[in-house]
Amino acid sequence: MRRFLKHNGLSLAFLGLFLAALVFQAIAGLAEFNDEQDMHGDPHISLWRYLTSSAFGAAVMENWQSEYLQFTLFALLTVRLLQRGSPESKELGKEGRESDEDQMVGEHARETSPRWARVGGLRTRVYENSLLLVMAAIWIGTWLAQSLTGVTEYNAERLDHHMETLSWPEYLGSANFWERTLQNWQSEFLAVGSLAIFAVYLRQRGSPESKPVGAAHHETGVEG
Amino acid sequence: MRAAALLTAMLALACSTLTGCGTGEKERDAAAVTERFHAALERGDGRAACRELSAAATSAVERDEGRSCEEAILGLDLPRGAAAGPSRVFQLSASVELADGSATFLSEGPAGWKVTADGCTPTSPDQPYECVLEG
Repeated sequence: MRRFLKHNGLSLAFLGLFLAALVFQAIAGLAEFNDEQDMHGDPHISLWRYLTSSAFGAAVMENWQSEYLQFTLFALLTVRLLQRGSPESKELGKEGRESDEDQMVGEHARETSPRWARVGGLRTRVYENSLLLVMAAIWIGTWLAQSLTGVTEYNAERLDHHMETLSWPEYLGSANFWERTLQNWQSEFLAVGSLAIFAVYLRQRGSPESKPVGAAHHETGVEG
Repeated sequence: MRAAALLTAMLALACSTLTGCGTGEKERDAAAVTERFHAALERGDGRAACRELSAAATSAVERDEGRSCEEAILGLDLPRGAAAGPSRVFQLSASVELADGSATFLSEGPAGWKVTADGCTPTSPDQPYECVLEG
């Protein structure tokens, strides 16, 4: 058990932080929802009713989709784009998909390589792109979920104000959908871009997200 | 078997947060309240009509007309005996179209669906309806 915790500490810590943040988001979100109910002279709802509402669903999904878009683009763009001096970038001159030997696939795979890295053919092609494929699939799925929960929440608000409702296709072209989408995208792109450039000049001793403290600013693709 | 039950529960939970899932019964309930309200108006039963109103709508009627709800509501120019047409439910809000082209708006609370606005006619696409009764 101790070994399991030691070997999986990073993912377990973030799982714990995620669950705690989700719980507190639900509590704060319920309070906000009931504040708005007060403004409309409507009764409060319970926590369970809020957790199963589109209001909560939309709030969660709009954040998830932007995180997975961030990872999708990061995985994709770092194949070909470089950032001199950043540990987030590959070394200069190594842009592109790299050789089979460098990537240890097919005949260049080791005994300890994952099976689909060794077998070749379609399975290796899929496995070579599995990180991007899964991140992109989750991004599209959560973005779809954001649009479906968002249209419900938006239409509830429109009915509260005695207005006509929108269909789902109409909602996809609405300011509400794009404002919720883009407000999340801008922060994700800023965060990743900031990390890529800050790490050129700043250091965090012991973190693989940083270069070694004594590494020169121009050294690219090295980890601490 | 356990995995199938878990998957079903997860799908039901996901469905309940998405539009168009499981709102059929709520749409019928909202339509039924709307018809009860308009039927009460048609037979001149102000008390029964006011029972279908939200607290805010009841207060608005009494404040604007200067009389009790059950007296004032029968004097408003609202559709009487109108049959409910298509209903739309989103979260705790609903609208029901009436045969005369007007609409009724409702909200759901612990006591079920209550009328929040009635005698509502559309104005322009992105503007609120104009309502005779509004809470």
